[in-house]
Amino acid sequence: MTGPLYLAWCYLLFHRMKAGILVLSISLIAFLPAGLNVLVGESAAQLRARAEATPLLLGAKGSPLELSLSSLYFESREPASVPYNEVARVVATGLARAIPLHVGFRVASHPIVGTELAYFSWRGLELAEGRLAAMLGECVLGAEAARSLGVGPGDTLVSSPESVFDLTGVYPLRMRVAGVLAPSHGPDDRAVFVDVKTAWVIAGLGHGHADLRAAGSAAAVLRKESGPEGERIIANASVKEYNEITSENAASFHFHGDVSSYPITAVLVVPPDDKSRALLMGRYTAPEEKVQVLRPIGVIDDLLGTVFTVQGYVVAALALVAAATFATAALVFALSIQLRRREVETLMKIGGSRSSIAVVLLAEVIFVLLCSGVLATILTLATQRLGGAAIRSLLLS
Amino acid sequence: MKRLLVCALVWAAAGCSADPPEPQARSDVQKRTLVVFATSYPLAFFAERIGGDAVEVVFLVPPSVDPAHWSPDAETIARAQAADLLLRHGAGDPAWLELASLHRDRIVDTTAGVRDRLLPQQTAVHQHGPEGEHSHGSWAGTTWLDPGLAAAQAEALAEALIQRRPAREDALRANLAVLVRELEILDNKLEQAAEALGDTPILYSHPVYTYLQKRYGLNGRSLVWEPDEVPGERQWRALRELLEEHPARVMLWEAEPLPETAGRLAALGIESRIYTPSANRPQDGDWLGAMHANREALGAPPARP
Repeated sequence: MTGPLYLAWCYLLFHRMKAGILVLSISLIAFLPAGLNVLVGESAAQLRARAEATPLLLGAKGSPLELSLSSLYFESREPASVPYNEVARVVATGLARAIPLHVGFRVASHPIVGTELAYFSWRGLELAEGRLAAMLGECVLGAEAARSLGVGPGDTLVSSPESVFDLTGVYPLRMRVAGVLAPSHGPDDRAVFVDVKTAWVIAGLGHGHADLRAAGSAAAVLRKESGPEGERIIANASVKEYNEITSENAASFHFHGDVSSYPITAVLVVPPDDKSRALLMGRYTAPEEKVQVLRPIGVIDDLLGTVFTVQGYVVAALALVAAATFATAALVFALSIQLRRREVETLMKIGGSRSSIAVVLLAEVIFVLLCSGVLATILTLATQRLGGAAIRSLLLS
Repeated sequence: MKRLLVCALVWAAAGCSADPPEPQARSDVQKRTLVVFATSYPLAFFAERIGGDAVEVVFLVPPSVDPAHWSPDAETIARAQAADLLLRHGAGDPAWLELASLHRDRIVDTTAGVRDRLLPQQTAVHQHGPEGEHSHGSWAGTTWLDPGLAAAQAEALAEALIQRRPAREDALRANLAVLVRELEILDNKLEQAAEALGDTPILYSHPVYTYLQKRYGLNGRSLVWEPDEVPGERQWRALRELLEEHPARVMLWEAEPLPETAGRLAALGIESRIYTPSANRPQDGDWLGAMHANREALGAPPARP
């Protein structure tokens, strides 16, 4: 290192506190817009990837954002439901596959997602252990759900009651864990997957109870009548209803009424090509139509458009803060030169030329700026490297 | 520069896009044996006859167990999940089908096209709590006892097979035609047997002959008697009361009744005959053979009192 540079470096080392504060201030103000950009970009990419992988969503008319957030990320308020026969209606068009989704119940903070086997193959979800749900009352856990709930295949989970004070409301159902999915780094990781029929049992639309014709149920039977349609058994509410589906009582479980009218949150519609997608969307445009078919990517892009607008304002504000910081740094350097007048005079007396003294002072500024640049770059690269995981865990939490 | 960029983008898009399956791969898929999971023996029989060597029929109900009352374990359901097709009657199906997680698009409801020909099943209606009346029943099963319905089911099954193996369409249709012809012959012979029986009042040990009765206009009434149990005195009393308004001389059983039961029935002038629904695989022969044996049993003239 040449003399002036060495002197500048020694000066900064001697005044390391002042130099450190300057480096930190400048590097942070340089890092903030870049880091924000990386984080927003990563969030947007992850949100878009999920939406892009979902060609069409069918749900009740209302907020497209609510429908998309609840169906893709299992978040947001539960939108109005549509009847299960909407699945058959989509299939009947011959234009797409249809996968029902029921979202609304939870195990602790984890969403219970009622769906069908096709969901797993379509989303490319693979089992890490166990098997897929085979029977009513079985569930398959996302990797994060299994980790945070501390359960695995063979264990049981209890769905959370909707309200502890609502005695007539949804009763908890004890579910057996059939398998655990491999991490997919998406919302599926924190979900508890059940067959859509199990979701209906949790909703109270299906139930299992003791056989009213068995001797053990005699106390609950009020009367028996014979009619043209068969035997009619009237019982009181003391009939034992099961809150766990086992191999012993599974056969007693049944659904009341027309299953095709049962509620689901949405239908994932998977057309094979763009033409089928366009044709299918055209079939749901009539004003009297009670459901909407939307492209989730459009909804998420609208949402991200708003996010990017806000990001623009934040970056503009940061630019102002940066200008103020650099002005302050310039002032710090100017004041520093004023305070070092005697030091400069000493340098001149021992033979230092004006130019070499200027080089010493300039080198100090350049060293500070260089260190700030290096630190800001390291922070940005670290954000880029670790930001994806951080965003994922943020989206999953 | 712009051109280069466009070329690079096109190249990247081409590289990233999913390649369509190679013709050879598609051909291999078409050649692979279709795994067909049957929920009852008649459907398994139809699939074997129509599918031939193009299908591997999986029918896992243990012998002597009624498929309608069988509950598979999770591993068996996993096999059903892995099958290419799952055949169901759509009437009188086992309860587990409604409770299992299965691939909806692989289920073939063989009576979907003949819903108007299905008959209701008599079950207990009950009411408890605030939910109102409900019952757990729907359509009567054993649809195959009407060969016309059986043929319709076989046709639905054949269509599902053809949809998945279009290259085998000719062979599948030829096999179907042979089976339908055999069912027509069975139907004609059953018709003759029913004519021989005329309006003779008959009894059924179980209400499983709904479609047989409807198709051939039989004059039958159902009991709920088990072949391997001696009926209690209450059941005998109910039978005597029934005989006053329905003087049956023949009773059709799903399986051989206990000698004590058959003897006591004979004392009442009622001849016991076996008409097996063959919901499960018979020990000897096949489904058509069992149906012809049934036909012979039905057509025999009633013994003189």
